[in-house]
Amino acid sequence: MTETLVRETVAEPPDRAAPPRRKRREDPGRGWRLYLPLGLYLLFTLVPFYWMLVFAFRPTGSTALVPWPITFEHFDTVWNDLGFGLFFRNSLLIGVGTLGVVSVLALAGGYALARFRFRGQRVFLLALLCTQFIPGAMMLIPLFVIFKGAGLLNSLTGLVVADTAFQLPLALILMSGFVRNVPVELEEAAMVDGCTRLRAFFAITLPQLRPALVAVGSFAFIGAWNNFLFALMFASRQDKFTLPVGLSYALGEFNTDFGALAAGGVVAAVPVVLVFAVVQRFLVQGLSAGAVKG
Amino acid sequence: MRIRGALAVALSLGLVLTGCSDAGGGGGNATITFWDNNGGPGRTPIYEELIKRFEAANPTIKVEYVGVPSASVQQKYDTAIAGGSTPDVGGVTTSYLANMIGQDALEPLDERVDSGPLKGKLLPNLVETVRQTAPDNKLYSLPSSGNLDVIWYRKDWFEQAGLTPPTTWDELVDRATKLTDVGRNRYGYTIRGGAGSVFQLLTEAYAYSGVEKFFDGTTSTVKDPANAELIGKVAALYKKATPEADVNNNYTQMVAQFTGGSVAMMHHNLGSYSDVTKALGTDEVGAITLPVGPSGRKTVVPNPTDGFAVFKNSKNPDAAWKFAEFLVSRESNSYWNEKVGQIPANTDVRSEAWIEKNQPVKMALGVLEDKATRIVPAPVYLPEYSSITKTDSEPAYQKVLLGQLSPQEFLTGLADKLTTAQQEWEERK
Amino acid sequence: MTALDSRPAVAAPRRRRRQWAPYALIAPTVAVLAAFLLYPIGSVLYYSLQRYNVTQPWKNGFAGLDNFRRMLSDDPLFWQSLLFSTKWVVAQVGLQLLLGLALALIINETFVGRGLARSLVFSPWAVSGVLTTGIWILLYNPSTGIFQELANLGVGDHGTSVLGDPATVFPATVVAELWRGVPFFAILLLADLQTIPKDLYEAASVDGAGRWRRFLSVTLPHLRDAIVLSTLLRAVWEFNNVDLIYTLTGGGPANQTTTLPLYVARKAVDSHDFGYGSALTVAGFVILLFSSILYLRLSKFGSRA
Repeated sequence: MTETLVRETVAEPPDRAAPPRRKRREDPGRGWRLYLPLGLYLLFTLVPFYWMLVFAFRPTGSTALVPWPITFEHFDTVWNDLGFGLFFRNSLLIGVGTLGVVSVLALAGGYALARFRFRGQRVFLLALLCTQFIPGAMMLIPLFVIFKGAGLLNSLTGLVVADTAFQLPLALILMSGFVRNVPVELEEAAMVDGCTRLRAFFAITLPQLRPALVAVGSFAFIGAWNNFLFALMFASRQDKFTLPVGLSYALGEFNTDFGALAAGGVVAAVPVVLVFAVVQRFLVQGLSAGAVKG
Repeated sequence: MRIRGALAVALSLGLVLTGCSDAGGGGGNATITFWDNNGGPGRTPIYEELIKRFEAANPTIKVEYVGVPSASVQQKYDTAIAGGSTPDVGGVTTSYLANMIGQDALEPLDERVDSGPLKGKLLPNLVETVRQTAPDNKLYSLPSSGNLDVIWYRKDWFEQAGLTPPTTWDELVDRATKLTDVGRNRYGYTIRGGAGSVFQLLTEAYAYSGVEKFFDGTTSTVKDPANAELIGKVAALYKKATPEADVNNNYTQMVAQFTGGSVAMMHHNLGSYSDVTKALGTDEVGAITLPVGPSGRKTVVPNPTDGFAVFKNSKNPDAAWKFAEFLVSRESNSYWNEKVGQIPANTDVRSEAWIEKNQPVKMALGVLEDKATRIVPAPVYLPEYSSITKTDSEPAYQKVLLGQLSPQEFLTGLADKLTTAQQEWEERK
Repeated sequence: MTALDSRPAVAAPRRRRRQWAPYALIAPTVAVLAAFLLYPIGSVLYYSLQRYNVTQPWKNGFAGLDNFRRMLSDDPLFWQSLLFSTKWVVAQVGLQLLLGLALALIINETFVGRGLARSLVFSPWAVSGVLTTGIWILLYNPSTGIFQELANLGVGDHGTSVLGDPATVFPATVVAELWRGVPFFAILLLADLQTIPKDLYEAASVDGAGRWRRFLSVTLPHLRDAIVLSTLLRAVWEFNNVDLIYTLTGGGPANQTTTLPLYVARKAVDSHDFGYGSALTVAGFVILLFSSILYLRLSKFGSRA
């Protein structure tokens, strides 16, 4: 019973790595329709990155559009004079910490919103939204006082907590939408077969949520990785600062150094872009192996 | 590091508990936190060197450096003061010093200065600008550097065109027009039209008008017709001899235009020395003081004075002061100002050899030491000062540049607000 | 059981017997938000009824509704910035959704170089606000930017300044924000596209539906909830987003690009007028609250056909 139902609802997961080529031949205009808009969009995406690379690799004062011969002086500045190595480590720890906490809490809360109807549900949803209505800058001082009382100032844990508080509502709401998209019958069928709800969730639903977790998790990670205000305000120690704080050093009055800004930008952006390059494949639905096993 | 920090906390706690009033001062080990109000690639390494020297000379005191990006430093201080987590000592400028004094966050330093080696060694002009920010006329920041508005210009462009740098505003307009060649993307001048515009504008206006006081009684002289005349002249250059982008220029954008090689003259101050010379080279860039107007008088609205403040909440005020004092000592003050190209507050530094070689600093000192120079301090002590000159007036000035508001109307509006604020201030005093 | 019948059954009967479960699941979230956001939000409400300015403590005190009165009847910039905020949010969310959806559909196809294309399309998302503004400052600057380079190639005029010209400052700022905003929708919608059962398309194809028809009858209905949610969340986010405009234009020229939160920042942070800034924030809060409720009602969120 379970098996047939699974087959019917999820259908054969299309194997996207090996496209069915015969179909494509029927459609000669397809290449243009894909590559032309994509190419234009990529141009828009890449020109600003190119500008960053040019400034990062050419000497101060140069106006060449191709940075040749390339120089690493700006990387020397940001890494050795400004301590970007430490900023990088801090940003990474905060990003990963926030990613972990937010994913778990969003999964739990999102599941509750999607699969149960309970008293206070609408209020909860609205309250989640409300937390997003006030700019962080206006809540800064009371937050600071709370953090101080809780001993969370000057600690990476504190920044994970702050970022979690601000990323969680968004993540939870999005996650509930994704859970709703996973047919509830799958879980129910598994439970008929004797699974507990929890086991059914882990065996059936969770694998289906892999793209969702990637999307929501990356939002949380990026939000924390890029947060400037909290990182600057809740830490008052040089060894607790993060990349955005480091980047803003290069835009100061009397300290404007576009080479350093761009080099710092490369340090801050390239690893994340590379991780995205790896992770994006998980935005594709998995093979639902778990669902079939259930 | 963590252990040492914990030790310091335990130690200071212990001292508080035992009722010792001289916690951490003098002899005992102390860790103090120092906030640099303009952290960045230009200045952080200089402080790191100075801290190294200080710790070598004072092995019982450890200094923790925290670099705060200049754009956020006010917010950082405000948050820290409201949350009761201020540093021990911090870099401040007179542009926001009054706000910090108003929040009762700082210690007056008069007695400490008078009982130490810096007594009588500080440029009186700078001390005066710091004192003016406090209602009680006390010294809440130990001045370290003075600054002066200058016009940076491209020596090479002037030479090629056979022009001399301007000494009057009319000459400036003339040079700016002559050096503009839109086809080659060259402009004679750049206007700061965005964040920070109005302060620069006021220095220009008073340099031109020669009006010697900011207030006549309690009435602001900002609306003087001669001031308006100058603003009209500058605004007329907009888009003719300046890039169109200028209307939104903050410092970053303005300096990008100048160092990017499309502008002949840029009004800023000595503080941008390293930014402009690093990009263009010391041979290509010169500095002149702001030109004068028809009166020929040299009037200077002084730029904010940099200094170091000791915070009331400090558990180690003595160590904090010691560090501030060290930073303004002859050797450190000389090292710092030589690197950043500003006016040393310590008068002993005046005789250092580098000053002779640094044309902009030498020129600025010349202006400040000239008996004929009139100093017209802006009322940075008014609590509404930044609200009036920034939040309200910067958008209004943009309207002037876009031709939606006349210079005189703009200045009258600004002057009326300043007058009201000044009257309130006088009443409270 | 046909494919269409097997759509996720949202309205499936819920088990009422284990009512503790949902509460247990949302408890950590409620705890985090209550601990860290309740008091700060409350304090904004409180200060909106106060005169509060740390630089003029002698004037502080209860103000009643004075701040709101001043805002509604005596402050043209409030209305102006609110209007601009609306314009900004509509333009941003509309364009981000359109471009994001188009991109998601494209990179959901199978083609050579898809992995690379995806990574590149998503990459601006990884760039922080500080860096985004830094890059666009350089890109738009008339002496270091792209218009200068284009003019050197003979395209356009030297000295073109999109941020300085009142006619172009809005689109220029919108484009800069789109750059990092579009990937949000692209990522989200791509993930959601993955959950469409393939047999729905096959069934539609059997029924003779063309590409456009399939998009309208299968893809769009499936994405509806995701679109409703993501546009709402994005609208709230863009409404309160300050960093890019603040650094790029500072709200200028002449307040033309001043959004409500930017105005709040200038009042509360730069000018220390925290009471009035709080009142402006409360106004934004109320507007967002009612718009959100209205939006969710009108879009019949969660009640799929």
